[in-house]
Amino acid sequence: MLAKVRGRAAYAVIVLLLLLVMLAPFEWFLARYTTLMIFIGLNTMLTVGLCLLMGYTGQVSLGHAAFFGIGAYFSAILSKTYDVNPWLAMGIGAAATGAFAYVISYPIFRLRGNYLAMATLGLGLIIYILFRELGDYTGGPDGMYGIPYLSAGGFVFDTPFKRYFLVWGLCLAMLLISQNIVRSRSGRALRAIHGSEAAAESVGINSAQFKMKIFVLSAVYASLAGSLFVHHLRFVGPQPFGFLASVMVVVMAVVGGLASVWGAIFGAAAIRILSDKVLLEFGELDLIVYGLILMVVMIFLPQGLFVGLKEGYARLRLRYVRREAEP
Amino acid sequence: MTSILETKGLCRAFGGIVALNNVDLAVEAGRITAVIGPNGAGKTTLFNLVAGVYPVDRGEIVFRGTALNNVATHKRTAMGIARTFQNVLLFGNMTALENVMTGQHVRSRYGFFEAAFRLPKSRREEETISLKAMRYLNLVGLGMHAQRNALDLPLGQQKLLTIARALATEPQLLMLDEPGAGLNTLEKRDLSDLVRRIRDMGISVLLVEHDMDLVMGLAEWVVVLDSGQKIAEGTAGEIQRNQRVIAAYLGEEEE
Repeated sequence: MLAKVRGRAAYAVIVLLLLLVMLAPFEWFLARYTTLMIFIGLNTMLTVGLCLLMGYTGQVSLGHAAFFGIGAYFSAILSKTYDVNPWLAMGIGAAATGAFAYVISYPIFRLRGNYLAMATLGLGLIIYILFRELGDYTGGPDGMYGIPYLSAGGFVFDTPFKRYFLVWGLCLAMLLISQNIVRSRSGRALRAIHGSEAAAESVGINSAQFKMKIFVLSAVYASLAGSLFVHHLRFVGPQPFGFLASVMVVVMAVVGGLASVWGAIFGAAAIRILSDKVLLEFGELDLIVYGLILMVVMIFLPQGLFVGLKEGYARLRLRYVRREAEP
Repeated sequence: MTSILETKGLCRAFGGIVALNNVDLAVEAGRITAVIGPNGAGKTTLFNLVAGVYPVDRGEIVFRGTALNNVATHKRTAMGIARTFQNVLLFGNMTALENVMTGQHVRSRYGFFEAAFRLPKSRREEETISLKAMRYLNLVGLGMHAQRNALDLPLGQQKLLTIARALATEPQLLMLDEPGAGLNTLEKRDLSDLVRRIRDMGISVLLVEHDMDLVMGLAEWVVVLDSGQKIAEGTAGEIQRNQRVIAAYLGEEEE
């Protein structure tokens, strides 16, 4: 019974959210916040991949920005330096990132827990250094300018407004795919691995294979986000792909709710708005306020914003229903 | 009778400690076989070797005519070996029903792609999976708790749930690691009934157990391990009269 109430509450929240996301740009919102919304969308793509990997499968990654960066640089270099069609460049980038994640998954998933965290952190740092030092291709610390817009037929994604729909269309597709996976046989296998690897193997789940697959999927998500990112900014430099960026993705995943697909939107939006808009008001105290907010979220909503809000809504509803029932 | 599982000269040591030494074991098909022995006799090691948790040092494990030595754990499940764990190991992030549904993993096919786009194949299989899972849940008497979180159940029911999860892999051999530990008398009697029903379904059962009353009332064949070696085997009655077994459990008389 309660599960049903919760399910309906979840759908109500999701529908509301989608309406908000789709309709928001038409009003006053458009002029001021389209760029912010694009970044939230890109961050959501990164975050949902990490939720699948960390929240559902229980495998830590502290180097996720590396995959974001690989996609970004593939798109930038191929479409600018080699004049490849941007969509094709995006596809090649995603395939290359997936292949890279596939190869790297063999040594890396021999490790567990803290050791896995250290290894992914190291991986992220190495990739970041490569972006900076391979100056002949990447433009080094200065980066690359003049990356072309994405276009389809004669339609060029040359305004933030157009790109907003592109980013959120793709983002919602990723969220839906993720949700379908989570609720499937494969999703159960992933959660089983999180629960107990020994027990997962005992029911016939090939844990190494499932870890590899979800690692590749989350890397591809990040790579696609990276490609959209450079075609939006038309600039790429190493700075957004460093260690701090990886940590940021983890924070977004945790705040939104590690084990919830839709929470990724909340996490990405909350942290993005916080760091781009709110914290500026606090000047030098920004890091303290940032830390405080994170602590409050973790203490009062340990399962993240999404589950927290969902349960809050269910509780309110229940109270309302009870009051109705009283004579 | 034919044996479904055989071990020949099975050896396994951990560092300098010999956990199993030259153990020959045969589990007859369609029978309840128990492995007993004092602490440190090597019972759980035997289980873990058969399940493939770690490799054997020497010797052979044969399941229905196939050597298992180089077969990965998850593939042994697909071949028809299922197990429960001494320390339960349920998936705490799932409901009772979902726990049992994971058992059906190995009997279903559809993967990431079909799931991602909710292709008809995924829906069809998912329906079968949940129907079957519900049946196994009912079999162990937990049907009404399907939607509860697995770890919210009391220990006795958690143990039944792990049996349902193991059964959902549709095994030919079910290995139960200390199924009676932590259960009260009533629960143990229900457990015995359940194990007999499972045997009647045509599934061979191999169990490791400390509780002598449970073993003697349930097992049709008893194998006794002591310090990594098989010291006796026979029917419950024979084992109870065996002098070496009594000595192993109570200690030998001083001269």
